[in-house]
Amino acid sequence: MIDEPIISWKVAGIALGLLLTLATFLVSPLGVSTQFVVTDAIVLHELLPAVAESNTYLSQYGEKSDWGVGYGWMLVLGMLVGGFVTAKLFGHRQPKADQGSMPPLWSEQFGPSKLKRHSAAFFGGILLLFGARLAGGCTSGHMISGISQLAMGSFLFGITTFAVAILTAKFLYRTQQGSTT
Amino acid sequence: MSLLIIGFLIGCVFGAILFLGGASSYRKILGTLLLKDMTIIKLMMTAIGVGSLGVYLLDLGQLANFSIKPAYVWGIAAGGAIFGVGWAVSGYCPGTCVVGASEGKLDAVATLMGALVGGLLFAWAFPSLEGLLIQNANFGAITLGEVLGIDGIYLAIGMSAAMLYTAFFVLKDRYN
Repeated sequence: MIDEPIISWKVAGIALGLLLTLATFLVSPLGVSTQFVVTDAIVLHELLPAVAESNTYLSQYGEKSDWGVGYGWMLVLGMLVGGFVTAKLFGHRQPKADQGSMPPLWSEQFGPSKLKRHSAAFFGGILLLFGARLAGGCTSGHMISGISQLAMGSFLFGITTFAVAILTAKFLYRTQQGSTT
Repeated sequence: MSLLIIGFLIGCVFGAILFLGGASSYRKILGTLLLKDMTIIKLMMTAIGVGSLGVYLLDLGQLANFSIKPAYVWGIAAGGAIFGVGWAVSGYCPGTCVVGASEGKLDAVATLMGALVGGLLFAWAFPSLEGLLIQNANFGAITLGEVLGIDGIYLAIGMSAAMLYTAFFVLKDRYN
């Protein structure tokens, strides 16, 4: 089929499952959302140390690694580098519809305004992290790693998240017609 | 090898897989959420299918460094719902916005910035949410195996088979 990703979901899924197994063997399972809070904690601690230290939640993560970076943060930094390098090397094989900052699917539905797309992306980002920290994890920590470990809370997260995300997507694209996805 | 370098290298592979597999694509994410293009959910189910078997095989040799998150019903349900809206609106999750940003996608950069703000907002909301949503109905770090009183490896075999079967044979793309 045309417009498919550079590697198939089978290859990507098996590789990700093996990577999770390796990470669980070497250190601990995969997780991302915590590191946004760690970043917040480090930056705020640089700027306003007293404010950062007086916040229970930030200091809980900040003090763990002395207001510096640990294994999990380096993992997310690695994602940035791994994504950057593979995008440089194989970006030319990425489907056209997946390139650039304005997804065609979005602009067909909501118009070409960059401000609108970026505002939605920013607002969505706020909800993502607020929700992930309230729930204690995100797609990687709760869904991929958590469900693989058969954690009860992670099953609940997976079901709730998918149900609400599907309803939201269906609502956003309720007037969508035609054959494109 | 230091823990930091191991983390960095695992992250590099993680980022590469997400990029190459199309997980940082708005079109692919929304395709799954609109139940039309199943690529992303099939990728996730395959990862869980391999990962659940992998980590529980490690566990047989007591080699798994598990990290079971506590099951607090209200906080996870509310957080999952908020996360779900953010996921559908932005088209990214915390990991894929990092990868999208690394590709130079500005909407992914916007999501990443929003996520940093969201983390900060939560840090200040935490004290007022903790009692009601996190300490209430908190069953601790429990697994399905502990609830059912069955050895994890048997459940992992079943989970793995169900996930892989669903990904490979049940889910079909539906373009209308």
